[in-house]
Amino acid sequence: MNLPQGELLRRRVLEDVGTVLRTAFERELTGYARLESQDTLLLDADGVGVLTFEDGIPVAAYHTGSDAAGTEAVTDIGSTGPYRLELYELDEEITEQIHDDESLQIPPALPARQLSGETELVDQIRERAPETWQETTSDTSLDAVEQFLDDEQKVEAIRDHARSEAQSRADEWQFPTDQT
Amino acid sequence: MQVFKYDTRANVNYMVEVFAVASGKGGTGKTTSTLALGMALATEYDVTVIDTDTGMANMLFHTGLSDSETTLHEVLAGQAAVEDAIYERFGMDVIPCGTSLAGFREADPRRLREVVATVAEGTDVILLDSAATLGTRSAVLPIVLADRVVIVLQPTVPSISDGLKVQEYAKTYGTDVAGILFNRVTEDENIDTVARKAQRYFDGETLSKVPESETVRAARRASKPLLAHAAESEAAGAYREAAGKLTVRDADSTAVADRFRNAVIPDES
Repeated sequence: MNLPQGELLRRRVLEDVGTVLRTAFERELTGYARLESQDTLLLDADGVGVLTFEDGIPVAAYHTGSDAAGTEAVTDIGSTGPYRLELYELDEEITEQIHDDESLQIPPALPARQLSGETELVDQIRERAPETWQETTSDTSLDAVEQFLDDEQKVEAIRDHARSEAQSRADEWQFPTDQT
Repeated sequence: MQVFKYDTRANVNYMVEVFAVASGKGGTGKTTSTLALGMALATEYDVTVIDTDTGMANMLFHTGLSDSETTLHEVLAGQAAVEDAIYERFGMDVIPCGTSLAGFREADPRRLREVVATVAEGTDVILLDSAATLGTRSAVLPIVLADRVVIVLQPTVPSISDGLKVQEYAKTYGTDVAGILFNRVTEDENIDTVARKAQRYFDGETLSKVPESETVRAARRASKPLLAHAAESEAAGAYREAAGKLTVRDADSTAVADRFRNAVIPDES
């Protein structure tokens, strides 16, 4: 996915992707969110997740670390927070070109449903999204949560990283551990 | 002021188990879950729930205790005795936490072990409502102090990812996993498949799958725990199912109290 930079609207560090989705929705953003993981030790974390929007509705996703597109990219974005967020506005002609690439497309409510769990936002996005963008059966069967859980390597990387982080913090915080 | 009911039992050994109710991420419904599990367990056990999320406390809003003068903040600040912060509500002993920034600043997390030790001498089950972060020592402390942790998950990628982190922190600090509890489950999710796949990575069983429900929000608005507000709701039933799977392990309460008192917690705050 090649994107021109566009106009920077917002830059901040955040833990919850739901905040990005809510902001884009409320601003009716046409443009994209660039989500750079702050957890540099995680698998794929050196990459950047990109979610694009049209009038605040998520349309496409890509992750530069794993080279994943579409739903798979949503999975990668979900498992690598916290993030440094940059929100950019783009001209509609530019986003339309990107959104024509079917491999990048995602069901509009998928990120809200599987990354934020905010049911109200899910309903709002579904309500506002054009009918032709709505989820199909094949979209939901390719579930981002299930994809994440099927990726044993990614899950183990998260667990390994958490274990070593807990151990080093135990030293820092002087907590007793099973290893000490 | 509450009457401290434990002093007459101080020399007797009672059984007690301490659970931390935790998730690495906010919005999963930890406080709702803590109180629901507490009320369900209270039909069989003497239960104490403690709001140990000292930075973003909200148990007091769920239990009609928002006007309480004495809370865990005052106890952790050394300005009040534990017994002054215990309120008998909904068949449980509730220790709420205040919400002021000043209270949070003055609270010394090291005193939490003494609080748990004191309470442990006179109750069967202690539930610690934990902070939604693993980023600070005081947030992780309840997980360190607990015997087992109940991990509350939403069926979303970040929530499950953070739940895995909670599990690894718990195990690193010698705390077992009692099980996972899926909360705020909507009809969209293939929850049975997700739960089955998630189970492979978590210790302990899947305790329950609690549906997202307007009833839960209504209970919160009514300042009541779910099981007091809508005992017959589907969500309440799911929590009772979870509590039924939490077989409380026997432990000598004096030994537990001693363990908390002797827990190696750093001196600096």
